[in-house]
Amino acid sequence: MKRSRKVALVLMGAGALTLTACGERDTEVGVFETLDQCMTTTGMTQELCADAMATARGQHAQVAPKYTSTADCEADFGPGQCEQAPYQTSSGGSVFMPLMMGFMMGQMMGGMSQPLYRSSDDPRTWRTADNRTVGKGTGLMRAPASVAKAPSVKTSTVSRGGFGTRAPQMARTPTRSLGG
Amino acid sequence: MERLTIRPRDDWKETAERHGFTFHTIDGQPYWDETACYKFTLRQIEDHLEYPASELETMCFEVVERAIADEVVLRRLAIPAAFWDAVSASWRNRERNLYGRMDFAYDGHGPAKLLEYNADTPTSLYETAVFQWVWLEQAMERGLIPPQGDQFNSVHERLVDALGRIGIAGPLHLACARDSGEDRATVAYVEDCARQAGLDARFLHMDEIGLDPMGRFTDTDDLTISTLFKLYPWEWLFEEPFGLSIPTSGCAFIEPAWKAILSNKGLLALLWDMFEGHPNLLPAHFEDDPRAADLPRPWVRKPLLSREGWNVDLVGDDGSSPAPVKDGPYGAEGHVAQAFHPLPEFAGNRPVCGVWLIASQPCGLGIREDTSWVTGNDARFLPHIISE
Repeated sequence: MKRSRKVALVLMGAGALTLTACGERDTEVGVFETLDQCMTTTGMTQELCADAMATARGQHAQVAPKYTSTADCEADFGPGQCEQAPYQTSSGGSVFMPLMMGFMMGQMMGGMSQPLYRSSDDPRTWRTADNRTVGKGTGLMRAPASVAKAPSVKTSTVSRGGFGTRAPQMARTPTRSLGG
Repeated sequence: MERLTIRPRDDWKETAERHGFTFHTIDGQPYWDETACYKFTLRQIEDHLEYPASELETMCFEVVERAIADEVVLRRLAIPAAFWDAVSASWRNRERNLYGRMDFAYDGHGPAKLLEYNADTPTSLYETAVFQWVWLEQAMERGLIPPQGDQFNSVHERLVDALGRIGIAGPLHLACARDSGEDRATVAYVEDCARQAGLDARFLHMDEIGLDPMGRFTDTDDLTISTLFKLYPWEWLFEEPFGLSIPTSGCAFIEPAWKAILSNKGLLALLWDMFEGHPNLLPAHFEDDPRAADLPRPWVRKPLLSREGWNVDLVGDDGSSPAPVKDGPYGAEGHVAQAFHPLPEFAGNRPVCGVWLIASQPCGLGIREDTSWVTGNDARFLPHIISE
């Protein structure tokens, strides 16, 4: 057979094709609040856990959501749940971020760990720095594969519109697509 | 290879619209056309299209190797010097490519002749991978075509698989220009495949991309963009205000920057220079190369960076350059001269066979048919079957 065995669309259409829509793949992750919790989990070693926690802690300041006031940060993460970030705004003001509450180890143990947070409106659920839901509780669990990957970094944008400038110029010709 | 006149499905328009194929009819003219289909034998597909495309892809890699080692070549391809390092680093770092479409003139008797390689922003992906596949299943089920047919088309499966294997960490951002419904639909399809591959896919328009204080690209939520699928030509990215931020942005692009070498019509001249006489190549030279004068007339004059057949001329016996069939904004960057190899004619129609490569593996065929000798953006897409 030279053709696909099945063709599925999960977003584009109403699934009236002979389609088997499949959701996102899950992967196994380890979610821990403390080093001890990690080390006492079957299959974990002190070295793996210490590496993972250090990696997550190292990422924390860089990836955590940032606020210019403690009040705004605490509104999202709760009283006493924020700390000052090692950054300043361009005008020299302080920057705040939530405390790291735990860490997640991806399937490739060690290399893919990242910090986790808890928001005040849903304190039992673990969230990544880019606010994706991981799950509740600690230990080994299933999570969407994309969540287990390195997070995007929350930053600030200083300019926009520096791409896409050629397209309107070329559209003077009746072009349907910019491809070929 | 035959062109079979067939009965369209009564409900094809509804089926198309239900599945996001919004551009099946354009300005009242059909784009998707199932009043006919092309029939191939398995041998024609495998020996005349699939295997040559695979061999040509390997040859293209040799062209990339040569180009990144030779500034003269990069200059001939009009790649700005500021990006030479980025282009060659993308190749040396083996940045993964996703897709491309090689267009062939082929009449069933081989050898198929490579007209061009849309290696950076190929379109007609969705209609090839999905709608053509659905047509085959339904047309067989309803007795509109012979049963037990097959199709050279594992594009969808390969696309989902390839997206999962590229090794994308974090979200995959996808972007195209504003105001092109067809491009938006194509990106929506890639987004759909990315979700199926387990990726966190996020769309934005090219003009919504931002820059942070450290020179990283950002999305509309101020998250850094670590991997960007862009249905937007490299040569435009090079020239735009954010272009110079690309090399230090830390962003991985799909297609990677080395595809700028292959999506350029100068590729045709470089391939001929390195593999002269290969059965699937047409003689081609850069226009200012003295050897161009030796091409039999008429020859075809193609801008290095033209799209959709714009500004493609025939240069006739008297050496004159008649007015382009479609006069567009391309050509300032230079031209290649390619031997004229007319498209075959089937009942007054001239098909181009577009062979799709996903992660460099040939795995599908999409046919666009026009009545003119240059296939443009008013061509119709016809489905095909494999049947003995």
